[in-house]
Amino acid sequence: MKWGMVIDLKRCIGCYGCQLSCKAENGTPPGVYYARVLKAEEGQYPTVRNLFLPVLCNHCEDPPCVSACPTGASFKWEEDGIVDINHDLCVGCRSCMMACPYTNRYFNDQASHYHPQSATPYEAARTASHQTNVVMKCNFCRDRVRGGKPPACVANCPTVARVFGDLDDPTSDVSRLIKERGGFTLHPEVGTGPSVYYLPA
Amino acid sequence: MNMINVVNTAARAIDDVWLPSSCSLCYGTCSILAHRVDGVVVKIEGNPESAVGKGRLCGKGVSGIMTHYDPNRLTHPLRRTNPKKGLNEDPQWKEISWDEALDEISAVLKQVRAEDPRKLVVQRTTTVTASRVPFQTFAAAFGTPNFSVSGGGQHCGNGAHLISGIMHASWSIVPDFEYCNYAIYFGASKGHAAGHASCSNMGKAADARARGMKMVVVDPICNFAAAKATEWVPLRVGTDAALALAMCNVMVNELGIYDGAYLQAKTNAPYLIGPDKLYVRDPGNKEPLVWDTRSHCARPFNEVAAADMALEGEFNVDGTLCRPSFHCLRDHLRKFTPEWAEEISTIGSATIRRLAKEFGTEARVGSTIVVDGVTLPYRPVAAIAFRGSQGHMNSVYNFYAVDLLNHLVGAADVVGSCLGFNPACHGHPDTGKMRYIPSAGPDGLMVTGMWMGYHYPYPPSEPRLPTNLGLQDLFVLGMTSPFLDSTDREDMWQRFDVPYRPEVMVNFGANLIMSIANKETVAASLAKYKFMVSFDLFLTETSSFADIVLPDCSYLQSLDSRSNFPFIFSLPAGTGEWCWPIRQPVLPPDGEQRNCADVLLEIADRVGFRADLNAAYNASLNIQAPHRLEGETRYSYAQICDAELKNNFGDERGLDWFKENGLVKWKKTPAEVYWRPFVDVRVPIYWEFMLPIGNKIAAIAEPRGLKIPMEYYQPMPDFLPCTSHCCKKSDFDFYAFYYRDIVHTNSFTMENPWLDEAARLDPFSYTIAINAAQARKRELHDGQLVWIESEAGRKVKGRLKLTEAIHPEGIGIAAMCGHWSDGMPVAKGKGVFFNELLELDWDHVSPVNNNLDLCAKVRIVPVEAAP
Repeated sequence: MKWGMVIDLKRCIGCYGCQLSCKAENGTPPGVYYARVLKAEEGQYPTVRNLFLPVLCNHCEDPPCVSACPTGASFKWEEDGIVDINHDLCVGCRSCMMACPYTNRYFNDQASHYHPQSATPYEAARTASHQTNVVMKCNFCRDRVRGGKPPACVANCPTVARVFGDLDDPTSDVSRLIKERGGFTLHPEVGTGPSVYYLPA
Repeated sequence: MNMINVVNTAARAIDDVWLPSSCSLCYGTCSILAHRVDGVVVKIEGNPESAVGKGRLCGKGVSGIMTHYDPNRLTHPLRRTNPKKGLNEDPQWKEISWDEALDEISAVLKQVRAEDPRKLVVQRTTTVTASRVPFQTFAAAFGTPNFSVSGGGQHCGNGAHLISGIMHASWSIVPDFEYCNYAIYFGASKGHAAGHASCSNMGKAADARARGMKMVVVDPICNFAAAKATEWVPLRVGTDAALALAMCNVMVNELGIYDGAYLQAKTNAPYLIGPDKLYVRDPGNKEPLVWDTRSHCARPFNEVAAADMALEGEFNVDGTLCRPSFHCLRDHLRKFTPEWAEEISTIGSATIRRLAKEFGTEARVGSTIVVDGVTLPYRPVAAIAFRGSQGHMNSVYNFYAVDLLNHLVGAADVVGSCLGFNPACHGHPDTGKMRYIPSAGPDGLMVTGMWMGYHYPYPPSEPRLPTNLGLQDLFVLGMTSPFLDSTDREDMWQRFDVPYRPEVMVNFGANLIMSIANKETVAASLAKYKFMVSFDLFLTETSSFADIVLPDCSYLQSLDSRSNFPFIFSLPAGTGEWCWPIRQPVLPPDGEQRNCADVLLEIADRVGFRADLNAAYNASLNIQAPHRLEGETRYSYAQICDAELKNNFGDERGLDWFKENGLVKWKKTPAEVYWRPFVDVRVPIYWEFMLPIGNKIAAIAEPRGLKIPMEYYQPMPDFLPCTSHCCKKSDFDFYAFYYRDIVHTNSFTMENPWLDEAARLDPFSYTIAINAAQARKRELHDGQLVWIESEAGRKVKGRLKLTEAIHPEGIGIAAMCGHWSDGMPVAKGKGVFFNELLELDWDHVSPVNNNLDLCAKVRIVPVEAAP
């Protein structure tokens, strides 16, 4: 069992639904977005294409963040391939952040909230419980997934651009889409073996 | 139907529930499930049971938590103690009790109602769809016709809704995503940003894209819709009619493509037009005549078989020389050559011919398809328009010319074509309620079965000397009026002897200072109100002009039996399900926050018009016995909601049932979705009624010194330029325009810190988009701070974003940013306030529907570095 995600760039409209539903699910503090939407354009007027690229932790086969971690806090689950962080072991050295070629890790410096005057009740419930002085990142909504639900970003996407499933199963939707539509990973040349694939726009 | 409604019933009662309700971050009003744990909303997700959103939400919807929990939210009624009102005046608020607030408000309203109830102006924001009935009924029961929606309509709808209403019996138009093969969008982003049927359309549009639907997007900027298009057609701002008319001309006159059978049976194309440009009518029953090719004579249209009606020819009817309106239109279109259109729009004539050929060919005129066993006309093309193209002086003709493309090939409300949003409904299968169907009105033309206001788009009312402050009873094709706040409003009121002036405003959540035009003009208007009450979530730029501000409940604290209805507004079009969701409170009010609908009921009780308000609710909600509201009984809003739901869905499905289940839904039938072949109505491809209306308006207005430009009141569309198109000033060489950002709604969401964070990461949300080559020619660089200055000398400051994705003459700015209110500290200072560039007067609105002209010719002036 190897969890993987497919993001269909033909369907994505750059609505930030993934970025924000992830934030709502995980209660991430200001400046931390496990899922992000990057925007770029290519071409020259009038032959222009606008590109939307949602990114997140790639849960690599051979994660450099895990090999860089001195304490073993960064690890990859045997059972399903999720790359995760044990915050009790993390000492905040940030070697993993330097090792990640995709800049998908964030350092939670100190407790913070969005409005200067006070934390909202939502943040008290969901953000305050995050440990400080540690690195944080996407964990494929590990608890949701193990409870039988898809990750929040997948469940929410209004264009149904995100698909989640078992890459080890050749009949799964993710495996099938990668094969049929020519799924590709980001920066394959760095050789980490991402589990997040993209379908061409 | 099972809702995910987990209540842990262990010995210690734990609060952990998912409650079905409705979003309110934009008027799309997608259905939501709000997760509350121990009294805190910790997640908002879509409701997979609902056809509205289909279980998914855009970035705004999931972020609602942070709007609700904003510490800057109002929690107590406030009274200004500084009597002076102005953009730089501090109201010096003091907290008061509800009793004090309502005492004062009621006293003022009582007096006004006794003197002249029309002195009350009621405003509301369109963002909360469900606010329409409470505020509209309040205004009606109070006795004032002066009810408005701030910038809504003036910017985005006076054109779109008028023409969608007349031609498609709906509020808006959209491609039939399921079956369309070729869609052309003119200044619209349906399915790629927000608005009507927001998230549902996003899913449908993505399916269409995956299926291979071609989408051509005509827009000065390539974002949102154009980013996903198979082809982006950049054009000079505001020239959509030129392209559309040239395409109509090419299709009909160069390629000979048009749906004769549709035109004969479903439009006024065969109606005979005399030299006075009006119908030739039967002398007896006054019905418009057509030429019967079988009996070779003119007969009333309703007595001739459609297939026998002439579409072309010169005929003599009792000495009057006349031609079918299609013949007039065909000749009229000839002057709109692609070469002519290229001059105006900058779109190459070869491109124009190609687009016309592609559209006309893919229309597959004459073909049919079987859907669920029903054989239906199949026209898999759709030309749609929305805010962008109709936001100009030429508002009516811009939108109408686009829709004409559809009607010429019969691509209207049939399979694959341009659809109105749910124009026909056969009613709930159990109760039969909510049944509505378009019907034939005067001259056989379509009257919509459902609308959002008291005055239907067709037939238009008779123009008369106006007594509405907005002059809508004179400009009968208008809807929302600029004349409530325009610089020339007093001139207009004097000119037309309007016998009263606005004195009191009740505002629900609208930020008029930012949402209409330049702040100075609207500020001057608001400052003149003797008394203003504003229901608000935050202290906005507009709140500072109020005498009393009332702390509103957010959508997570509110109840509405009809969060979404009518179906013409925001239920997804096309096949699928009818769906009636509600909104229910997930959280209690904080502090002294109260639900606006209940407050209005209490005010009505104090002022003494409860009976009228109950009657207005009965009429608006169409409540029948035994649930009909009686006499002066002081129903709470919850009781009214319960009555409406039971009335529509039966006694077993009142408020309690809906709180448990969230919504009612039932499957649409093909005869409802593709209703056009089954209903005998015609739409006008020749707007014969324009000329008499224009003449009647002129007869009233011109003796009083207001010239009515009759070129706007002709029965066939044309391209008429905006002020910006006529600007000859040498360094004013850009057309500034705005667009709706996907991550923001109106002036509302910039205060939401999650959305603001996403916008700050976005390259465009808070910047000024300019064509990269044009910028470099002027030695302007990315990130440069500049002034954008209009012809009138109004200016806004912002940072440039160089991009290839905009027309060389365009300056593109995301709408309604640039807040300055201290009451919205997250929003304050972010982005550019485009509307500052807009003038608000007769010269800058369409003389037909009074939509604002939303483009401005501007020059760019770099901001000098501080010495």
